[in-house]
Amino acid sequence: MTDDKAATLALPAPAALRPSALPKRGKFKMGQADALSTAAVVIVLLGAMQIASNFVPDYIMPPPATVLRATWDIVTADELHVLITLVRLFASVAFSMLLGIVIGGAMGMFGTIRPALRAVIVIDTGIPALSWMLLAVFWFRDPETRIFFILTVILVPFFALSIYDGIRALPRDLVDVVESFRPSRWQVLRFLVIPHVVPYVFLTMKSVIGYAIRMVVFAELVASASGIGSRMSLAQSTFRIDQVFAWTFLLVLLNIGLQTGVSMCERIALKWRPEVEVR
Amino acid sequence: MAAAGAPLIELREVTKRFASFLAVDKLSFSVGEGEIVALLGRTGAGKSTVLNLVMGSIAPDSGSISVAGCDPSRQFKQLRGRIAVSFQTDRLLPWRTAVENAELGLLILNVPKDEARRRALAWLDRVKLRGAEHKYVHELSGGMRQRVSLARALAVDPSIIFLDESFSQLDHATARALRTDFKRIAAEFGKTCLFVTHRIEDAIEIADRALILTQGARIALVEHVTAATRADPAATAAMHERIAQVLGHEDADTLADAAE
Repeated sequence: MTDDKAATLALPAPAALRPSALPKRGKFKMGQADALSTAAVVIVLLGAMQIASNFVPDYIMPPPATVLRATWDIVTADELHVLITLVRLFASVAFSMLLGIVIGGAMGMFGTIRPALRAVIVIDTGIPALSWMLLAVFWFRDPETRIFFILTVILVPFFALSIYDGIRALPRDLVDVVESFRPSRWQVLRFLVIPHVVPYVFLTMKSVIGYAIRMVVFAELVASASGIGSRMSLAQSTFRIDQVFAWTFLLVLLNIGLQTGVSMCERIALKWRPEVEVR
Repeated sequence: MAAAGAPLIELREVTKRFASFLAVDKLSFSVGEGEIVALLGRTGAGKSTVLNLVMGSIAPDSGSISVAGCDPSRQFKQLRGRIAVSFQTDRLLPWRTAVENAELGLLILNVPKDEARRRALAWLDRVKLRGAEHKYVHELSGGMRQRVSLARALAVDPSIIFLDESFSQLDHATARALRTDFKRIAAEFGKTCLFVTHRIEDAIEIADRALILTQGARIALVEHVTAATRADPAATAAMHERIAQVLGHEDADTLADAAE
């Protein structure tokens, strides 16, 4: 062995390459870790509520047991309002998604109408949600129309811009290979564009669900006499802070449930995509 | 330049500039029916520009191009189903399985789904991918992906196939196996093929004729490769050396290829 070789072999591996320098993988898979973290945060919050309730009156911070009782009362007596809110949420999110996909797709595929559509979307994103809510109250008498309108004008830009970005991010290589078979515009859409933007739809859906829930509740508070928002308004005006907490608790559960549902659909729809974990 | 059968691809005095850069300078050659012609050259010699011209992706500034009797840039749609391309990278659609990728061209040509699936499976079998039909792209090795890419091109039963450095991203053993399979399939089905490469061994192993291009896609040397040439190591080595001399490069990659 030459001296050079011996010297090379004697050198320690660079710090970045030593196994001990790499962060260790957790014991749990990503989903399990998420669930455990959520449970831990809930326990900490309940503990904080319990401690705080010992120092302040019940109408400011009720103990968790009172909130749980109020939650049970709501679940058994006010389930129709939960259902109404859910139906409104599903209808408006589904319609916003479809309209957003159509607008985003048109922006991505038709250069002539892109500037006009983009201008409309950008202006829409600049209008505060509250303005839309107040305008909806003036413009529409039917509460369902008001809420549907409010959610649609707020949510459509998220989907449209995301789909537009998705189309712009289409790899040129894949466009070339599909075009080498001389497809029609519809075939390009079917075989290339639509499958490519599906992850963008899921990403946007996961991003807007929490926001959509907040908006539907807010819209119900302003523009309707039914649904979770209106019941929260009633609880506030009758000083039932335990019910306000209970509704909030249910909304958080609703959000987690919907996020989980969307994530499950995403896993099924995007089974072709390998899960990558960065160490 | 003479070709084997009636020319299916013909370029006459084709010139293409990009701004002030002369990419192709009055290039003329033809590829006969059932013939395999390699365009060999260094990076920047204009090989890819020639391929883009015959595929119709770009139009020439002057001269004429005929592919299966059509002007590829003007009669783009008329070549539907008559030509297919296998690219340098596999370019598989990641959301489709191997067989779904292989049937892509057939579905675009409006072949009924069942028939498209049957033909795609048969081609995957021919490129030795039985058992991997329903795997997604990320589950396939580089060589397997390139085989799917080849099956996708061949499945539409084109009369002309363009190969764009299709074996250059693969390791030598995989590239050699794939070249052998392609050569066998092209001969069996009488495909006309134009392929560009910078690897001398690719050209010698597959092509009936190799056109060695220098800057401006000027043809500096034409080598006719026969089965006898391939069977004779000395003849192959001599051809290798002649081509390398014309290319005149110290490109490490090519020298490594030459050394093999």
